[in-house]
Amino acid sequence: MRKAKDVFCAALTGTCLLTVLGIVGGLVFAILSRGWPALRLSFFTEQIRLVGAAGGIFWNLVGTGILLGTALLASAPIAVGLALLGRVYLRSERARRWLRVGLYTANGLPSIVFGLFGFIVFVKWCGWGKSWLAGGLVLAMCMLPTVTICLMERIAAVPARYIHAAAALGLSEAQIVWSVLLKQSWGGLVVGSLLGLARAAGETAPIMFTATIFAGATLPKGIVESPVLTLPYHIFTLAQDSFAPGVDAKLWGSALVLLGLVFSMSLAALPSRLLHHEEAHV
Amino acid sequence: MAALLGVFAWQSAPVWTQEGLGYITGTKWFYRQHEFGALPLIYGSMMVSAVALVLAGPLGVGAAICIAEYLPSRARFAVKIPIELLAGIPSVVYGLLGALLLRDWVYKTFANFEPLSGDTLLTAGILLGIMLLPTIVTLTDDALRAVPAAQRRAGRALGLTQAEVIWHISLPQAQRGIGAAFLLALGRALGETVAVFLVVGRQDNMLPSNLFSLEPLLAAGQTLTSKLGGSEINIAYGDPLHWGAMMGLGLLLLSLTVGSALVGTLKRSGDA
Repeated sequence: MRKAKDVFCAALTGTCLLTVLGIVGGLVFAILSRGWPALRLSFFTEQIRLVGAAGGIFWNLVGTGILLGTALLASAPIAVGLALLGRVYLRSERARRWLRVGLYTANGLPSIVFGLFGFIVFVKWCGWGKSWLAGGLVLAMCMLPTVTICLMERIAAVPARYIHAAAALGLSEAQIVWSVLLKQSWGGLVVGSLLGLARAAGETAPIMFTATIFAGATLPKGIVESPVLTLPYHIFTLAQDSFAPGVDAKLWGSALVLLGLVFSMSLAALPSRLLHHEEAHV
Repeated sequence: MAALLGVFAWQSAPVWTQEGLGYITGTKWFYRQHEFGALPLIYGSMMVSAVALVLAGPLGVGAAICIAEYLPSRARFAVKIPIELLAGIPSVVYGLLGALLLRDWVYKTFANFEPLSGDTLLTAGILLGIMLLPTIVTLTDDALRAVPAAQRRAGRALGLTQAEVIWHISLPQAQRGIGAAFLLALGRALGETVAVFLVVGRQDNMLPSNLFSLEPLLAAGQTLTSKLGGSEINIAYGDPLHWGAMMGLGLLLLSLTVGSALVGTLKRSGDA
């Protein structure tokens, strides 16, 4: 009886795992098999025509790139500041703990909340209308916790003897931070940014009210009323009413491109994460 | 975060002064008549999240047990990479899969119950369940691995089978961590927007007469997030009361998700 239970337990959990892996495989296969035929060079270099039924996704890629670049530039300095605050400048253990808990909680906030916040603050109060800058800043808020947590973990991993050695050599605190802590842990910033960007690239809810429209935008020329096209919003709009036969193939193609973009960023971050046994729970 | 809460609380002020608590318990939402009751939306969010957790919970915990207790460490990494990738799939892509594939599947599979369309609370729940899997698997796996290996060896040395070690030693000690995993997953489920938006049907005022019947699962519904993600946001701006009602939904959503994420995080770090 006990033996039977033992075997049953192993079989049951094994089945669970296989089911989960099967779901992953099935999803990736479903997207790959449907999206692959649409991928030609012209798909990447042409702009959309006939409401997505023809042409390509050139400006969508450019727009997503602009948003991600803005988000990266906006989040990196703040992440460095917060991470240093949490690891160096906050002396009390309580305050540090609350900063950490706050970051993890912020990481669990729904992205639509950031989107609405951006809508109120940037679009309405600042009067920017739909603007690439608003979208970039909102995405920066979404990815900030991830980046900060990664960097903090890496700063914590800097051996204490490095800091002691630097202090013994007479370096000031600012010098220690700059040339020991940050120099040793900048990889954490890179990995965190990759993970954050991978998440931000696929986000739709934060940018649909703040930054992106479906068609008719190219390069932004200013800040006010200068939206961009983006890949996620393209998919989101077409998924709501894709009845034209030409749309389907293009739609799956766009999804595959987005998936490729996201996966390549998280895979690029993977080796370093495994190496450092970091499990940033994002 | 305080700024977030502050902005939403302030922006939603009109609806609280006008409707008071009736805003949460009200069952009708007709913005043209200035009637704002958020209960059907809260119900929708809860049902969808419940379905997702019921589906993803056992499956995810089972998979995590297999990873943490049975697999050697090399195989662990090999298995965790695809699960991480699952976590990385953007929600709009899930939404696309749901809208183009899952919707038809639900419509055909449950044809006996004559659903009006494939856009149902159940569809949204299944889709969300898949999205929650990586969260539950990863966090449960972490919780199980935090149980000291020496205790497992001691259990085996006393003659327990591996299943008994899992049931009597690992799981009880990982209980808090697993609880935290469910809470964090719940937070994600409540807050997920675009994937749910695409398959839930977005029908207002769908509050069933019998709260405990499963039948409404096969009807369309509306969640807090699908309401907030819709175009009503653009209509509402400019009318203080209507806008206040929308932001009130944001405030509700924010409080629910902050609550579950905060408690989940504290539980995980072992303070709650």
